[in-house]
Amino acid sequence: MKIAVCVKHAVDEAELKIGPGGSPLLAGAAGKMSTFDKNAVEEGLRLKAAHQGEVVVFMVGGTESKKTLKEALAMGADRGVLVTADTVAIDALRTATMLAAAMKRSGRFDVVICSEGASDTYTGQVPPMVGELLGIPYVGYARKIEIDGKAAKIERSLEDSVESVEAAVPFATSVVSEINDPRYPTLIQIMQASKKPVEELNGEEIAPAGSRRGVEVLSMSSQPTARKHVMIDGSPDEAAAKLLDALSKEGVLK
Amino acid sequence: MSGQVWVYSESEPVANEVATAAAAVAQGASAEVRMVDIGSVRPATRGSGGRLLLKGPAGHEVSPAVAAEALARAAKDLAPLAVLLGATRDGREVASRLAAKLGIGCMAEVAGLASDGQGMTGERNVFAGKVVAKVRCQFPAVATVKVGAYPKAAAQPGESQEKDVGPVSDQTKTVGREKKPAGAVDLRSAKVIVSAGRGVKKKEDLAILAELATAMRGALGCSRPLSADLGWLPEEHHIGLTGVTVKPDLYLAVGISGQLQHVAGMKDSKVVASINTDKDAPIFQASDYGIVGDLYQVIPALERALAARR
Ligand SMILES: Cc1cc2nc3c(=O)[nH]c(=O)nc-3n(C[C@H](O)[C@H](O)[C@H](O)COP(=O)(O)OP(=O)(O)OC[C@H]3O[C@@H](n4cnc5c(N)ncnc54)[C@H](O)[C@@H]3O)c2cc1C
Repeated sequence: MKIAVCVKHAVDEAELKIGPGGSPLLAGAAGKMSTFDKNAVEEGLRLKAAHQGEVVVFMVGGTESKKTLKEALAMGADRGVLVTADTVAIDALRTATMLAAAMKRSGRFDVVICSEGASDTYTGQVPPMVGELLGIPYVGYARKIEIDGKAAKIERSLEDSVESVEAAVPFATSVVSEINDPRYPTLIQIMQASKKPVEELNGEEIAPAGSRRGVEVLSMSSQPTARKHVMIDGSPDEAAAKLLDALSKEGVLK
Repeated sequence: MSGQVWVYSESEPVANEVATAAAAVAQGASAEVRMVDIGSVRPATRGSGGRLLLKGPAGHEVSPAVAAEALARAAKDLAPLAVLLGATRDGREVASRLAAKLGIGCMAEVAGLASDGQGMTGERNVFAGKVVAKVRCQFPAVATVKVGAYPKAAAQPGESQEKDVGPVSDQTKTVGREKKPAGAVDLRSAKVIVSAGRGVKKKEDLAILAELATAMRGALGCSRPLSADLGWLPEEHHIGLTGVTVKPDLYLAVGISGQLQHVAGMKDSKVVASINTDKDAPIFQASDYGIVGDLYQVIPALERALAARR
């Protein structure tokens, strides 16, 4: 079974610094593997363990994102494909177009796995777009995937219901975090990861943007809500009484 | 004929919220709103303009794949300026697939929608809600609208239009659907929310938080792990980026570390108080009042103090 997993080197939101004017300092910001992408890699590895084959990790990103690709390889993926592009400047459809183009070059995949959304931008658009562009069935928000020969059964976790969906291989999917517990690579695996093959493709070459503009970011700003930050001390009973006093004064306790 | 802004959501209440957003876009673009139904008319969708019924697909089984294909075929002929959907899980899929089929931009989970006539703008949370981004997309465009960001549109009469898009087949088959356990809460309208995090050691202990919530005439909410990963509470209790956005008068965070993704869903609360054993927990940065302490001691103390006052 040929398994493609898409991962993103996401901006580490907790580390992201905000400039004096309230705009985020994105140049040189720390990055990390998008949180739920670990579940996507894990699911790819789980399917490989059950059905043999190969797990190939695809990523659109700059050179700094190789770190995340390495992490996926250390988890156990067999090889990686890095499509170079300036991810800050492009929208989801552009990313998906490059991912789909890179996958088509690598042959036919039986399963394409993404996560439900990236931890930095959380649009959730790339997975269905990749499925659409590859022209294969797409079933998103998977919390369970079972494959038997050419038939797949997927549990889709929606807001208020769980759907059972049948699809034929090849198909694309996005996984939710409850599908599995991602493994941690061992030290040996981390060392071995640097020896695994990584192919580099130029995004603009494999999928020219043309005149398309897509979604543009006009501005970004951070306006944290002002809070009082009053710390209440004392024994549990004293603290409880003081808190209730404060809340009554605020008029929020009826 | 002036341009059209289409509204579609698989959820009727969400469609009525999206209709309000669509009215703002339509006003800026001098366009008309069309509430789109696929397969059969749903009387509960209201909207501020006319209706558009896409005939062809069977009305009872409109999967995201079918909805996207039906909308794409109709859009190729009727050329709406914009198609707006709800940012539900299904809605995100329909919108993304539609945008990919048409090769146009799709704005994700936006609020504050407006149009300058040539395109539309909106605002969305990025970096786990730490930053708000203003985004723009040239017409024709697709967008998903943040759930809960707009009031539901009032019913208004309008012109009805039909379009036959032909039969639409789905490559996948939905063979079962099970309701997730539902809670009896509407956190969006709660004045007081007591919210539980991983600091709660076991499911049974949620009872003391639920008691406190009742004593404060409020509702019980939680962080994502308690519902999505542990399944201790139904998912509509989960507050944050991937859950509900709430604005109560009082938000009491109990055993919640205060990661950005959680804070994104409660930062507009009037007053925030929190209880956490870790004095450095980020939740204190997002709080007006903080108690460094063990919830298993502080919650019973709060209940005693409340009882003594009543
Ligand atoms: C894309 C994405 C979307 C997400 N969306 C959401 C979302 O919508 N909502 C959400 O909540 N999370 C969301 N998360 C997860 C989020 O990042 C955090 O992992 C989560 O909020 C942590 O939950 P918690 O605070 O309950 O648990 P923890 O982070 O484990 O915190 C537990 C806290 O309890 C305290 N504690 C322990 N024992 C006690 C005690 N006896 N008394 C008092 N305090 C105690 C600890 O000091 C700690 O601060 C999302 C993550 C990603 C990547």
